[in-house]
Amino acid sequence: MATQDDDPLTGPVPDPDIEPTPAELAHARRFAELVDKTLTGRTPPAMSADDRALLEVTTVIRATHGNVELAPSRQRQLVEDALRQAIGAAPAQGTVTPIDRARSRRAPWYVATVSTLVAAAAVAVLWLRAPKVEVVRQAQVPAEWTSRSADGLVGPIARAHAGDALSRIDTIFADRLDGFRSRRWAPGGTR
Amino acid sequence: MRHAMRHAMRYVTRAVVLVALASGCSSEREPGSSSTTRTADPSDVIDQDLMIALAQAKNFHHKAKVYMTDGNLASATAAVRQILSLPFPRGAAEADDVRNDARALLAKLLVSQNQLDEASRTIDEGLAQSQRESFFVANLYTVQGEIHEARAAGFEAAGEPGKASATDERRAAISSYDRSIQINERLQKKLMEGR
Repeated sequence: MATQDDDPLTGPVPDPDIEPTPAELAHARRFAELVDKTLTGRTPPAMSADDRALLEVTTVIRATHGNVELAPSRQRQLVEDALRQAIGAAPAQGTVTPIDRARSRRAPWYVATVSTLVAAAAVAVLWLRAPKVEVVRQAQVPAEWTSRSADGLVGPIARAHAGDALSRIDTIFADRLDGFRSRRWAPGGTR
Repeated sequence: MRHAMRHAMRYVTRAVVLVALASGCSSEREPGSSSTTRTADPSDVIDQDLMIALAQAKNFHHKAKVYMTDGNLASATAAVRQILSLPFPRGAAEADDVRNDARALLAKLLVSQNQLDEASRTIDEGLAQSQRESFFVANLYTVQGEIHEARAAGFEAAGEPGKASATDERRAAISSYDRSIQINERLQKKLMEGR
């Protein structure tokens, strides 16, 4: 059966004028130790769910009250260093880094400039090595494989043969059929 | 101000990265860009479509020849007309030559049927549609000269009133023959230079 001590979060709130029981005092001491350990960075790996909830609330309350402070000696050292740098002197132990040095404004520009130069060089290389294909390609196809004017095949047409289109179409067809077959069946041809 | 600069820097860096990636991709996509053994464009070579168009033109010419042998000039004319509507592959140089030759024959058939205006229109259309000079274009001018001669003969037959027109037509015929001769000379010279 659960008792008030076992369940401090959900149980009834005791009267503040009533003397604490030994169990309550023991629980308070144990929780105080838990808080101390947490603040010094030694939080125990295992604890009850109630203790963990209380601990979180305690941590939040402490943080909102501004109770996290540096040691007085450390505070004095940081102020001293900041004042030294403000008047142009070097910091005593180099512990405080000037904000200008910590976040250099030029570094991103250096990165961007170098990257832009690299990209421009890549584009220039691609552009310079691109051509030279077209001229060679024409030379790879035999003239007899290509579609072309029939002038060289037919020659000048005499007036007496002006209407003799039948013989000319026969000649053109036979010539182009040779080229077509050659292209399809030659070793280098396309089927 | 600093916020804006940081934004600008972010965009510059992204743009540079994109350009670098694009360069890398394109260089990967063209591993054989220096290759000299690429296949020619389909429009450059003789393909099946061109052979079909030429075979069709050949068949219509043979059909027209049979009709002409039978004395059926109207059917012969219709057969030759069908050559003009044959679809040739885009950019095929043979298309102009075959169509111009068909127009020359068509015009001669029309002249033989005394349809001189229709014959003249057929030649004019062929000359207007030709993309370049060729022996077939020269032949169109030759047939144009024959049409002018046929007109001159018609005016001459009309007697004295048609004499002036006949003279004009004969001059036009000479002009057409001259154009034909000039084109033939230019093309022959070009062919000789090419050999």
